[in-house]
Amino acid sequence: MSAGGDQGHGEGSGFVARRFVVAQFATSDGLLDGTRKVRERGHKSLDTHTPYPLHGLEEALGLGRPKIPTLVLLGAIAGACIAYGMIYYMNAFDWPINVANRPPHSPPTMVPITFELAVLLAGSSSFFGFFALAGLPKPYHPIFEAESFSRASIDGFFLSVEVPAGGDPDKVLAEVRAAGAAEAQIVTESER
Amino acid sequence: MAASSSNAALAPRDPLDPRPLIEGVHTDRTINDSLLEHVWRGAGRGWWACFGVALSMLGLLVIAISWTLYKGIGSWGNNIPVGWAFGIINFVWWIGIGHAGTLISAILLLLQQKWRTSINRFAEAMTLFAVICALLFPLLHTGRPWFAAYWLMPYPSVQGIWPQFKSPLTWDVFAVSTYFTISLLFWYLGLVPDLAALRDSSKSKAKRIAYGIFALGWRGSGRHWAEYKWAYVLLAGLSTPLVLSVHTIVSFDFATSVLPGWHTTIFPPYFVAGAVFSGFAMVLTWMIPARQALGLKHVVTAKHLELMCKVMLATGMMVTYGYVMEHFVAWYSGDPYEYAQFFLTRQRGPMAGIYWLMIFCNCVVPQIFWTKKGRTSLPVMWGAAILINVGMWCERFNIVVTSLHRDFLPSKWENYAPTWVDISLFIGTIGLFSTLFLLFLKFVPAVAVTEVKELRHELEHDSHGPAIAAAGGTHA
Repeated sequence: MSAGGDQGHGEGSGFVARRFVVAQFATSDGLLDGTRKVRERGHKSLDTHTPYPLHGLEEALGLGRPKIPTLVLLGAIAGACIAYGMIYYMNAFDWPINVANRPPHSPPTMVPITFELAVLLAGSSSFFGFFALAGLPKPYHPIFEAESFSRASIDGFFLSVEVPAGGDPDKVLAEVRAAGAAEAQIVTESER
Repeated sequence: MAASSSNAALAPRDPLDPRPLIEGVHTDRTINDSLLEHVWRGAGRGWWACFGVALSMLGLLVIAISWTLYKGIGSWGNNIPVGWAFGIINFVWWIGIGHAGTLISAILLLLQQKWRTSINRFAEAMTLFAVICALLFPLLHTGRPWFAAYWLMPYPSVQGIWPQFKSPLTWDVFAVSTYFTISLLFWYLGLVPDLAALRDSSKSKAKRIAYGIFALGWRGSGRHWAEYKWAYVLLAGLSTPLVLSVHTIVSFDFATSVLPGWHTTIFPPYFVAGAVFSGFAMVLTWMIPARQALGLKHVVTAKHLELMCKVMLATGMMVTYGYVMEHFVAWYSGDPYEYAQFFLTRQRGPMAGIYWLMIFCNCVVPQIFWTKKGRTSLPVMWGAAILINVGMWCERFNIVVTSLHRDFLPSKWENYAPTWVDISLFIGTIGLFSTLFLLFLKFVPAVAVTEVKELRHELEHDSHGPAIAAAGGTHA
């Protein structure tokens, strides 16, 4: 067991409790500013927790390009190909039916379903892709241990910094306070 | 002239001051508490009364469905030539009602119309429930819905044949099921941060766990928001052509046939405009009592209602234009059957009453919204909204039954009357819709709390310059 784990969990469970410094800021601008400052101190595992998206959050956290648009494009292409291929296979190849003497492979009649399936798969990629990228659903996260963290979904602006293994949480705490946090505390993951 | 409004609650304080989207001075906390309050408050007597009525109508639906399945669709009033009747009328009516939800949530989002924020959750929920009601009708019309899967869905069966994809009816299956799925995903994605807010403001552990399950562990992470904004706006971007395609495809069910009254190229745009028209009417029908009962007047303000009236006026005029064009083309084409359909059967036939009711409700009634008084008086707009719902139902009746009952050969003509099963199914779906909607109003915030907070934040920061509007991928 490492130093952080408070309850032993049998032999070699390998559980290493992650530690976070959670800081609350008084205003959204303060949070953006504080995040930028803490990131400039070289911290990598930073995250903010806010009730709604703030403009400039991506820049403050130093995030790269979002991945969702690519996923959605791939979903749309896949959906269109599947639909067109399916209709072609069924109505033109496997069992051609003469409908009012139209050609078995009649592209105009294939447009609606091709479009609909493209939208269906693109939309599903957006939804499920988002949850996969976000790692949700995730009922437990150490940050929920922080006091008054419930305000993060109501009216609080929080910054969390993961303390690297072997790092000194108190040092991070001091850095966060220096960056303008109104309140800051250390939370430790509990083993479940 | 705005000051002439007789309703004190709607009267703006200063006629020159634009009316606000959020009334009063608020913080994130007060918005949160005031918008979630109706969820935490116990069900009042009014809610139970409405719920009782809705449940008894739902009971009627159960009886009518059971009877349909037991006796077969011979218990409906459909005959030959009126092979499509209440089933498809109600299907089109309900689908159309759903379209306003998507228009408000998706199209107005892309157009960056800030006023959508207070009403989108409400309208999206309406979309979902309306589509559920709509889907019942084609399923029941198959007579044996448990077989419908292999009539409609392409899967390799022992019969060795496939659906025939040149038929607009198969397009419809894909359009409507895609529409339902995407609307559900879009609605739920928008709801997740609000469910987290519900979880975190719960007073009891049971509620915290219940909402916590649906909140999926949302923690407002900035890394999540960055992707979330894109997921949300792209779903909106996809819903926009989707909603246009759905009613277009529904109109193809008619327009690709050769029947006089159906065979017109104006059908797709005119169906879409009609859908939005009836959908906004339905939103107003529910929103006017709900904002009163749920205490939402500070976020669904007189300005919102007035804008919705303007949308109804605009779409009502488009629908009127559609009617005029149909009649013009029937005359100008020189086709005697088309002419007979529009100028004799519809206007002077046995079902002329429904035609004139349609003209009154859809063309005349919305003209009231030209006046400021009409757009600001609650009783006037509520009455108009209900009449528009009636008018749009009559429109579908005209298209379906009136066109079918007198086509080319007089020897084929036959009158139509619905049976008690038809009427019960229709009333029953209103019960199903109302039941689902009342449950929604009880358990889920009726207004998108997160988006209203974001809007408040934006309005407050507006003085900081164009930073807000520039966020192309932003969420409200």
